[in-house]
Amino acid sequence: MRIYILRRLLGIVPTVLMITLVVFVMMRSIPGDPVVALLGDAYTEEDAVKVREEYGLNKPILIQYVIWLGRLAQGDWGSSVLSGRPVLQDVLFRLPVTLELIVLSMAVALVIAIPAAIIGAKRQNTWADYSATSIAMIGVSIPEFFLGVLLLLVFSVGMGGALPSSGWVYLPGTCTSVVCAAGLWGNAQHVLMPAVALGVGRAAILTRLLRSNLLEVIRTEYVTTARAKGLGERTVVLKHSLKNALIPTVTVMGLQVGFLIGGAIVVETLFAMPGLGTYGIDAIISRDYQQVQGFALVTAFAFVVINLLVDLTYSFLDPRIRYGS
Amino acid sequence: MSTVREIQAGPVGELVLGRPAATRSESPLEQGLRRLRRSTTALVGAAIAVVLVLVAIFADVLAPQSPIASDQTQTFQRPSWDHPLGTDQLGRDMLSRIIHGTRISLAVGVTSVLLALFAGVPFGLIAGYYGGRVDTVVMRVMDLILAFPIYLLAIILMVIFTPTAGLLGTMKVVGAIAIVRIPIYARLVRGSVLSVKEKEYIEACRALGVRDPWILVGHVLPNCLAPIIVTTTLGIATSIIVEATLSFLGLGTQPPTPSWGWDLKANVSFIHDYPWLSLFPGLAIFVTVLGFNLFGDGLRDALDPRLK
Repeated sequence: MRIYILRRLLGIVPTVLMITLVVFVMMRSIPGDPVVALLGDAYTEEDAVKVREEYGLNKPILIQYVIWLGRLAQGDWGSSVLSGRPVLQDVLFRLPVTLELIVLSMAVALVIAIPAAIIGAKRQNTWADYSATSIAMIGVSIPEFFLGVLLLLVFSVGMGGALPSSGWVYLPGTCTSVVCAAGLWGNAQHVLMPAVALGVGRAAILTRLLRSNLLEVIRTEYVTTARAKGLGERTVVLKHSLKNALIPTVTVMGLQVGFLIGGAIVVETLFAMPGLGTYGIDAIISRDYQQVQGFALVTAFAFVVINLLVDLTYSFLDPRIRYGS
Repeated sequence: MSTVREIQAGPVGELVLGRPAATRSESPLEQGLRRLRRSTTALVGAAIAVVLVLVAIFADVLAPQSPIASDQTQTFQRPSWDHPLGTDQLGRDMLSRIIHGTRISLAVGVTSVLLALFAGVPFGLIAGYYGGRVDTVVMRVMDLILAFPIYLLAIILMVIFTPTAGLLGTMKVVGAIAIVRIPIYARLVRGSVLSVKEKEYIEACRALGVRDPWILVGHVLPNCLAPIIVTTTLGIATSIIVEATLSFLGLGTQPPTPSWGWDLKANVSFIHDYPWLSLFPGLAIFVTVLGFNLFGDGLRDALDPRLK
């Protein structure tokens, strides 16, 4: 098992390198560069050449990439061309916001999906099942930003500002600047609507999948055996059926991480959250190369690490699955 | 569930009802269509899709006003007889914008999926049928595209293409979404080809000296059609969401071309004073996506119950 994890961890390196290389090349193939935006009205060709030299933008793309990698290996993520701030510092400041959003939205998804799927499977073809599957279909069809708007309409506009429509209060301990507010209650108020907006779509997908997996599992012989030996329905469903039905569901949860990262960009934009999503989209639009590379690096790393965690979860859910033997 | 229903409604059921026994067996397509006609959700989805297509075709006739003509004397009007869905900050009629927005959403949704289909299917056919190095090279490229979060890649592609208004701008959005979706078809078709190519009828074709291109198009492809049709229908819904999301982020269809995603984004800042302005474009996106999802779900149950 340890050898397997080690091998997989080593496998992360080429994937992350490949993704960052592709992003590096793609960003530099966009017409124009951040120097134009940096110099603004004071732009002269002479100054532009100087600044490009300063940031190494006049070198061939692959050489630039190797230089970026070399600096990265020494812990230097570079500095934003436009703001001049170190990218690593910005990423570390914004990462907790997005992590909290993604973790809570996944929690929202599971809290909705597991009971809904159990009810749907246990009472197949009853009104409860039809309600669960219909709501799931609505959940699949509603884009995150529109659900966010609906939540804003109800909780910010309709209920007289019960929940804040934008901005952010940091979790205690995650605010490393003197200008940001931190507090548990304020944080909960700010994160609730974005987490629900992002989580409901995932909940809908998981409900549909988990329900159909549960329907298959509860018809298997080992579940009949569990019932025959007198186990309570609760144990049969939660311990014998749900655990086995979760295996394919966990795979899909892993695949959903890509959507969650994209969804975070949209939700953070709607609720004006200072997370990595807004950092990434601002960087891409303003072509701030160093910022984009920092964002791509974190995104690619998160993507592959979560897929590794998904694979490791299999052996927890089904002890027959062993790696590395 | 539909498979269980099929078994129950077999020859025994027909005898009980006193209907004459079937004289010939139904083809899989006929069976699928029969199941589709019985599916309420599929019919509701199809009805929504048909209405939307009609709205898109007759948008010029149905829209009470021009979707792009601004009127500074009519800004932020509440819903009324003159403007059933109100007007925006430029005094443009929201109902007309939403009706015309149907064109962009459907055009981008359908054409991007078709483009991805026509590019992805040949890749999948070739990779699956020939295997070996061809397979490795094609699928590595597809895996690389799939390694990116879908929105992230679409966003970067749109920045590279530079969003613009009008037909060219719409074509750029179509291109970006199509590129993101190509690997989905390539993988799907490759998987089907791998199972189909070992079948005896393909071996028989080879023994008869039928050429590879004809085997692929005439024999292998028709046997992979069911999952392709289902993925395409559901893919239209996803593409419509991606287009609306790109427009919401300011990277999709550009003004003055009416786009639901852009309108929603533009009006969100006025949500406290004019909430309906963000509500209606969002509802339009939701109903459209729901329609294609319902139809796609019904198709999946009808054409390939194994995928359920």
